[in-house]
Amino acid sequence: MDQSVAIQETLAEGEYCIIISFPAVQGVLCEGESRQSRLLGLVRHRQKRGQEHALFLYMHRRMAITGDDVSLDQIVPVSRDFTLEEVSPEGELYILGSDVTVQLDTAELSLIFQLPFGSHTRMFLQEVARACPGFDHASPDPEFLWLSQYRCTRPEPEPPTPLGWNAPPGTGPPCAGIGGGVSDFDDSRSDKRGLPVDPSSWGQDTPDNLLTRQNKSKYEITDMVRSSTITVSDKAHILSMQKFGLRDTIVKSRLVQKEEDYTYIQNFRFFVGTYNVNGQSPKEGLRPWLSHGIPAPDVYCVGFQELDLSKEAFFFHDTPKEEEWFKAVSEGLHPDAKYAKVKLIRLVGIMLLLYVRHEHAAHISEVEAETVGTGIMGRMGNKGGVAIRFQFHNTSICVVNSHLAAHTEEYERRNQDYKDICSRMQFCQIDPGLPPLTISKHDVILWLGDLNYRIEELDVETVKNLIEEEDFQTLYAYDQLKTQMATKAVFEGFIEGELTFQPTYKYDTGSDDWDTSEKCRAPAWCDRVLWKGKNITQLSYQSHMALKTSDHKPVSSVFDIGVKMVNEERYRKTLEEIVCSLDKMENANVPSVSLSKREFCFQNVKYMQLQVQSFTIQNGQVPCQFEFINKPDEKSYCKQWLNANPSRGFLLPDSAIEIELELFVNKTTATKLNSGEDKIEDILVLHLDRGKDYFLSVSGNYLPSCFGSPIHTLCYMREPILDLPLETIRELTLMPLQTEDDGVQLENPLGIPKELWMMVDYLYQNAVQQEDLFQQPGLRSEFEHIRDCLDTGMIETLSASNHSVAEALLLFLESLPEPVICYNTYHNCLECSGNYTASKQVISTLPTFHQNVFNYLMTFLRELLKNSTKNHLDENILASIFGSLLLRNPAGHQKLDMAEKKKAQEFIHLFLCNSP
Amino acid sequence: MAKKTYDLLFKLLLIGDSGVGKTCVLFRFSDDAFNTTFISTIGIDFKIKTVELQGKKIKLQIWDTAGQERFHTITTSYYRGAMGIMLVYDITNGKSFENISKWLRNIDEHANEDVERMLLGNKCDMDDKRVVPKGKGEQIAREHGIRFFETSAKANINIEKAFLTLAEDILRKTPVKEPNSENVDISSGGGVTGWKSKCC
Repeated sequence: MDQSVAIQETLAEGEYCIIISFPAVQGVLCEGESRQSRLLGLVRHRQKRGQEHALFLYMHRRMAITGDDVSLDQIVPVSRDFTLEEVSPEGELYILGSDVTVQLDTAELSLIFQLPFGSHTRMFLQEVARACPGFDHASPDPEFLWLSQYRCTRPEPEPPTPLGWNAPPGTGPPCAGIGGGVSDFDDSRSDKRGLPVDPSSWGQDTPDNLLTRQNKSKYEITDMVRSSTITVSDKAHILSMQKFGLRDTIVKSRLVQKEEDYTYIQNFRFFVGTYNVNGQSPKEGLRPWLSHGIPAPDVYCVGFQELDLSKEAFFFHDTPKEEEWFKAVSEGLHPDAKYAKVKLIRLVGIMLLLYVRHEHAAHISEVEAETVGTGIMGRMGNKGGVAIRFQFHNTSICVVNSHLAAHTEEYERRNQDYKDICSRMQFCQIDPGLPPLTISKHDVILWLGDLNYRIEELDVETVKNLIEEEDFQTLYAYDQLKTQMATKAVFEGFIEGELTFQPTYKYDTGSDDWDTSEKCRAPAWCDRVLWKGKNITQLSYQSHMALKTSDHKPVSSVFDIGVKMVNEERYRKTLEEIVCSLDKMENANVPSVSLSKREFCFQNVKYMQLQVQSFTIQNGQVPCQFEFINKPDEKSYCKQWLNANPSRGFLLPDSAIEIELELFVNKTTATKLNSGEDKIEDILVLHLDRGKDYFLSVSGNYLPSCFGSPIHTLCYMREPILDLPLETIRELTLMPLQTEDDGVQLENPLGIPKELWMMVDYLYQNAVQQEDLFQQPGLRSEFEHIRDCLDTGMIETLSASNHSVAEALLLFLESLPEPVICYNTYHNCLECSGNYTASKQVISTLPTFHQNVFNYLMTFLRELLKNSTKNHLDENILASIFGSLLLRNPAGHQKLDMAEKKKAQEFIHLFLCNSP
Repeated sequence: MAKKTYDLLFKLLLIGDSGVGKTCVLFRFSDDAFNTTFISTIGIDFKIKTVELQGKKIKLQIWDTAGQERFHTITTSYYRGAMGIMLVYDITNGKSFENISKWLRNIDEHANEDVERMLLGNKCDMDDKRVVPKGKGEQIAREHGIRFFETSAKANINIEKAFLTLAEDILRKTPVKEPNSENVDISSGGGVTGWKSKCC
């Protein structure tokens, strides 16, 4: 029951204080030897600057319902120095299912609490962890001004209140013995035997809130939330994300599927007893009912009805009878064994107690208890059922104690009560993501209680006569439960043993005499035990006439129940197999492709001649995203002369895509390939998102070309470039441009590059009168031919259109790594662009080869202008074409503004108009 | 106190000369199988395997790298982020052993400073073709203060032991996490840590 409602009533709900949520748990405050029950509530105060939290500790009545039931004892602000951590009680052996001990520390105080084990506590602890400041760095230090209003109302310390129901008086730490060999073993450890339960599986989106103590910034958290919107079909991905706990869920469900592989059946003896005590207190020992004539059972399930018929019990849910009968049962358990109490659950007068032999305690887990009232208005607790569910070894067991509607004619009401209990009895699961468990979802169901079914159609005398004759068979034919079960109106699938004892109702209290009161009720088998499940053998089913406290006689039944035991070794093996198969699945779900080719050799790559090689990426079974990624310290995924098309994409399962690798050497990349500073060599990394990386090797050789070679290098090449050894080309290309003493090391340089001469001479011979020279584009195929002729020196074989040669000349000038007007002279030229003398002066400062080339070109252009009537060229056209080729801004193209362009043209213009 | 379980993710890396059997070592560990056909790893591959050590579930993400020399500059970029590196040589290939010091230098230059290293002399089933005595492997391992195993992926010798030992060594070094001490990004597979209690 959530007692936070009671706390809520004590809190202010003012302008600045809005209470959002506060899980509350009932804990035991331990101060030295003293132990006091407290309600712990986490209170949130929201204000303009964010929110603050404090832990409110309340003293309380046993079950707090309203604000009057609690009184504020202490407030612990959740400040930056606040910690709440799970601790191990010193010197105490940890026992599965024991309470959680937590230590609360702040700068001022240190408190120790015991909290009942279970999801509620877990949730509470998580909420507290989430509330700790530091969770959000951006938030200011909390000031807790809002707490002042509570501090002044704090009451004087009261004497210790009686301990809560989960800590009976005289009880020491958990599992200390009480009574005759009974110990308190309340609630149970939630994680199942050996199976490692990820703590992150507690509470929704838990890994997030678990991390709250680890300085996760708000930003990251939002990210996680966002990333959780993932489609379920993306199995592999989800598997690899622990936060979903999906892996754990799969492991668990597979373990259930394979249960037979690692479990075997072992019988345990269960004692099931039911007793309607008619509001009486225990007046006689219960041993005749609970332990006479039987060997000590392993498990006791003991149910009572009409424990307390007082109004107080009905309205306040509080009764001293609980303690009395609990004690009586504890003392009546079999003396040959030590028992531990697992759970006590009570709804008004309906109480169920579960004990196990001490040695089995460690194998009891996932204990949950619930109640369902079906009494007045269909909800109240005067009638109804209580149930305890638990896991014993690997078998799930649910024990139900019910008190169904009274009166002979009300059998349909009883049927309905049964159905209501079945449908409304719901147990929480450890994993809040799972739906609650119902009674029917258990391997073994034991149902006991005052079911109140009567004997029909026979008059009282006949009934009594049949009982006298011990003709229970005949009598049983008139039993309402039998007839109702036969029509499947109630307890479908349940079994009841043969009734070999006389009806247990109704006797004159203190005797074995049938009811002599005015009503003179007909005897009936009100008190019954039924079961459902496999491997259950009923050993006895009887009433106990010796007990005379009530107008009912107690009933008992002893069962051998086959429980699934885990073979640790085989369990481990099965678990390993499952984990292994999941790993396999995850590995198989890593995106993987096959490539039709991984080595690419581009042979005899030539300047400005595209080479393409293609390969296929064939995808496997997993959709994947591929992309060529950059290698470390590199700006792009491949060298400048290479391009992959497409360089990224998405592949559906079993689909394929063709990728083209395009190799193209242009003026930017040619020089370094000539010089050997660069090679046709590269490795491409094809990366699959969440998957592998593939390396693709590119190799090949480049045929050096005059295109991209410096002027002075070409001047020293008396042979065609392709006739020279690569080493010589490299040396000459790397040779620095010298302004003075050219040719000191090398003899007989040419005045201008022979390739330039070849092109100009060809044009001079063939094209001075060519219409629209330099204005019509050439043919690409002819360019390649011209390039080859120049590079091999086979000028005599050159046959190409004038336009193609003209364009080759322009491309040649464009490809020069150092322009004809050297970069360092560029600005000087622009400055004197209006002054011919000054311009000539600047030209004279150029390196000799560059001067030669410049003068040679100008002479040629002036020659062209002489034929302008034919070729339609004029100074302006030529100045604009050659201006931008001969004069290039050292900063590159991006800075070329119109003014500079104009000045460059003016500079060339001067030389076109003036003969030297 | 009850055992708390934490999911941890350890990233391991296999390096060493081409042909020493890195892929086979990994395949033996992940799939408990062996394949005799040699297919050179051209790229980076990885497999995951979940193991339990000291009651903790640990997911090992093991990266297998191309051993060929031409890929070295690229493969070294994968060293970063590895928590453990297995450096493998072939006891029947002297060159692969001579290169160990080069590989160790690579680790120094490119891997995290606190990376856990381990030396494996693979193919120890082929004793008749052995050219690297076990003692030499032990010696170089001792000099560098790292663990050493002779393994055989084919005969399944010491493979699991080597991986588990490496994982244990990393686990030992993994600092006991106090709140606020670690920021693991789960979505990238960094692992999950739970609500920490003092007594674990």
